[in-house]
Amino acid sequence: MRDIGILKIKSHEPALPLIQGGMAVGISLDGLSAAVASAGGVGTIGTAGIGMTIEGYARNFKQASIEGLKNVIRKARSKTDGLLGVNIMVALTNYQDMVVTALREKIDMIISGAGLPLDLPSYLEEGSKTAIIPIVSSLKSAKVILKRWFGKFRYIPDAFIVEGPKAGGHLGYRVEDLQSQEFSLSSTIPQVRQLTEEIKREYGKDVPVIAAGGIFEREDVQEMFELGASGVQVGTAFIGTQECDADIRFKQALIEAKKEDIVIIKSPVGMPGRAIRNKFLVDVEAGNKKPFKCVYHCIKTCNFRETPYCIAQALMNACRGDLENGFAFSGTEGYRIKEITTVKDVIERLFGTGPLSLY
Amino acid sequence: MTHDEVFDRVKTIIAEKLGVEEDEIALDSDLTEDLGADSLDLVDLVMAFEDEFNFKVEDEQIENISTVGDIVEQISKGLKVEG
Ligand SMILES: Cc1cc2nc3c(=O)[nH]c(=O)nc-3n(C[C@H](O)[C@H](O)[C@H](O)COP(=O)(O)O)c2cc1C
Repeated sequence: MRDIGILKIKSHEPALPLIQGGMAVGISLDGLSAAVASAGGVGTIGTAGIGMTIEGYARNFKQASIEGLKNVIRKARSKTDGLLGVNIMVALTNYQDMVVTALREKIDMIISGAGLPLDLPSYLEEGSKTAIIPIVSSLKSAKVILKRWFGKFRYIPDAFIVEGPKAGGHLGYRVEDLQSQEFSLSSTIPQVRQLTEEIKREYGKDVPVIAAGGIFEREDVQEMFELGASGVQVGTAFIGTQECDADIRFKQALIEAKKEDIVIIKSPVGMPGRAIRNKFLVDVEAGNKKPFKCVYHCIKTCNFRETPYCIAQALMNACRGDLENGFAFSGTEGYRIKEITTVKDVIERLFGTGPLSLY
Repeated sequence: MTHDEVFDRVKTIIAEKLGVEEDEIALDSDLTEDLGADSLDLVDLVMAFEDEFNFKVEDEQIENISTVGDIVEQISKGLKVEG
């Protein structure tokens, strides 16, 4: 039996091998991220729609987003000495603004998925301490990003987050692949681990593999380490905490959800998403929503002329507690949240109090 | 290298990467619609062409590629192909 190793990402060593997954819109801001960072994990701010934190944002959403991110990072920083990251979706139209702002604020990590973050290394200055981490859904996407980053920028990713089909929010799989064994973490984690072993042999760089999607308790964490992960990213489980930045009614939606209420939806972003079914989503499906006027222009791939609702608006409403005009994203395990606890409780459920070990 | 030679080498790479038969690939084949490539395949293909023909494609240009002819065109421009 040996203890699980320390998670080291670039020069950063969180006390726990844990990243709290960035959750937009408005679910993981400074409250949740700082609490996780103080508890020894990496706290991650979700940047999509972060302009909503600024008064009068609808007038100039682009500028509000930059201000919003800057403020939220500073607020989080003022609450913790721990490690902080930002999650920036590649599909965002203001991707570049978010990356540049986060780097200017000297964020510890930039985590980027929902598309291929092909040009992310181009923003890093020589000697920057910011780690850059792609979220991948398969060995193939890990290889393509590695090849492009190394070929063009001589940069090797500082870690790979492998997000499997059980995650919440937007998913990097086709709907028909979600159930397939081929795409489950038990297949993908060992494959990506093998790739990182090759990277280590060839280039001498340690690239930890971090597993995400459906991780809820200690057994799940243990299983991921046995598969070859060196860390876990957890999202949904942290929604049921006092520190989570969403309105209480959003958290309540997860507490009240039954297993069968957590469903796959077709998101306007052009990817499938996992969410809690409610009247809003049922109405959307029944065609009872009308196209809208797009004010945010937030997602590159959003076909807003044909989309039945504005996802930015729906998610902003939800995060403020208006679930009549929005909906909550959740991973497959969301229904297991029974009450509002604290970040400390969630971490204890994930890691126990004693050290985790590999048999 | 002639236009046809470029097309032949492009065909070989596409067939190998996407697992399709070479004779299914025509200049007007749409990579996504006809040959089943996803956005990941497109990047993978472009990098293979960059290696094979020793030229560079910008990330933004990758999104503009739709048919096999578009690729042959871009490569030919980069290589200053005769006829
Ligand atoms: C409400 C919610 C919002 C999310 N928002 C984002 C996001 O903006 N960007 C992203 O890359 N992942 C997002 N995710 C995914 C999480 O960061 C995390 O990787 C994933 O949920 C892990 O699975 P789990 O929820 O089962 O732990 C979101 C997930 C949820 C539940």
